[in-house]
Amino acid sequence: MLRRVVAALVVLACAAGVVAYQATRPSRAPASPRVFVPSPRFFQDFSPSFRTSIADLYYLQMVQYYGEHVSGDGRLDSLPEMTTLVTALSPRFTRAYLFSAFALIDAGRADAAYELLKRGFAANPGDWRFPAYLGFFAYRYGAGEEKDLAAARWYEKAAAIPGSPDYLPRLAAALLAKGGEQGKAVLMLGQAYLAGDKYAREKAVKGLECILPTEKEARMRALAPLYETMPRADADALVAELFREYVQ
Amino acid sequence: MNQVVAIAVNTFKETIRDRVLAVIVVFALLMIVGGLWLGSISLGEQGRMMKDFGLVAVTLFGLVVAVFIAAGLVHKEVEKRTVFVLFSKPVGRAAFIAGKFVGLCATMAVVLAGMGVFLFLLVWAVAGEASGMLLVAVLMVYVQLLAIMAVTIFFSTLGSAILASVLGICVFVAGQLSHNVLALTRLGQNAVTEALSWVVYVVIPNLAAVDVKAGAVGESTLAWGEVAVWTGYLLAYVVVVLALAALVFRRKEF
Repeated sequence: MLRRVVAALVVLACAAGVVAYQATRPSRAPASPRVFVPSPRFFQDFSPSFRTSIADLYYLQMVQYYGEHVSGDGRLDSLPEMTTLVTALSPRFTRAYLFSAFALIDAGRADAAYELLKRGFAANPGDWRFPAYLGFFAYRYGAGEEKDLAAARWYEKAAAIPGSPDYLPRLAAALLAKGGEQGKAVLMLGQAYLAGDKYAREKAVKGLECILPTEKEARMRALAPLYETMPRADADALVAELFREYVQ
Repeated sequence: MNQVVAIAVNTFKETIRDRVLAVIVVFALLMIVGGLWLGSISLGEQGRMMKDFGLVAVTLFGLVVAVFIAAGLVHKEVEKRTVFVLFSKPVGRAAFIAGKFVGLCATMAVVLAGMGVFLFLLVWAVAGEASGMLLVAVLMVYVQLLAIMAVTIFFSTLGSAILASVLGICVFVAGQLSHNVLALTRLGQNAVTEALSWVVYVVIPNLAAVDVKAGAVGESTLAWGEVAVWTGYLLAYVVVVLALAALVFRRKEF
């Protein structure tokens, strides 16, 4: 009996020792901002059947890495390589592109984010979010006088993708007008009017009111190209709304 | 034919009795815990992660079960001397090998169907995606494992069960790298090594020709013609390897 009690006590003491050892370990020091990231080629060659699973693992690591450093030392040195690895192994992993693009902005690498989104769009041409974000990045982080037009062109591309939201043609039109391309802006707003609901149509009319000349003849001339890109009935309805003030 | 069916039924009952279905329960628990954990750290990609890691788990669990059972099938009969009772009756050695393989195929079908259906339902319940491609991918994993089972049975007719298990797993790994062997063949400057690489390339099963997991997570669009040809290739490979196993087993003296 005594031997059993002693044996049980020894086992309990050992178990307590195991728990105590682990519980008293100091918390892990912040990891280095530079981590080893293998070449995508390595995984493409040596684990072709598991490449998406490996991309998922590195995506999870990338999210952890970002979370650990963005609010700590702010250094995201290895983020571009991680992003390249994940997207090369899984080119249709849209979340990885979008997350990485914004994470790269935090890393001060707007250029890399822009290039990444371009790669993402090339791999996922049916996803309107890529050109929409490219437009936003071009507008927000671009430089020079051409940035409005560059952004507008991306929004135009996004608006042309089925399933994209109604506001994209309006956004493109506003930027085109700002960039001096009134003619294109009118056409974009015409498309917004054509594709949208009542709210979107009101917005399109308001947008056109802002960029169209007030003089009647000039306004008519500016609206003429709409008849080439819209069904006649819709174009007539839009023109009627834009000339309501003139009739009264 | 009757002999093959009788041996297959017996093998199926025997392997199921080995509590091999417990693998499905372990898989289910792993996936539930893993799925919940992934949901919290993947920023909304729970469905993709569950499908991807779930298929890896199906492959690895299936591989372990297939290899270890296949390695012991023939060996156990010889070790327990039950093979003598069997061969005292009019049972051909080829029928014995075929029956063992068919029985194991049935067991693996139950195991993989259990894991596949559970994974399908879990992804549906958690991520709201009823992914038929997931079930197709599990079916393709099953076909891959048939080739590995045949190879492991072949090795078990040559040596010990442990050796057969190790070699079975090695063939699975080598089968993933088949295209690299082909690349080596093309790079070879020496005619002998070139010919040798070509032989190795033909002998090991090409398990990575079609990426079924990538198809299930929407990464690539599977070309059904290619999938059908690949399946046909693997089934033909199974027939050849089982014929070799039967040939070796026929020459074996007990």
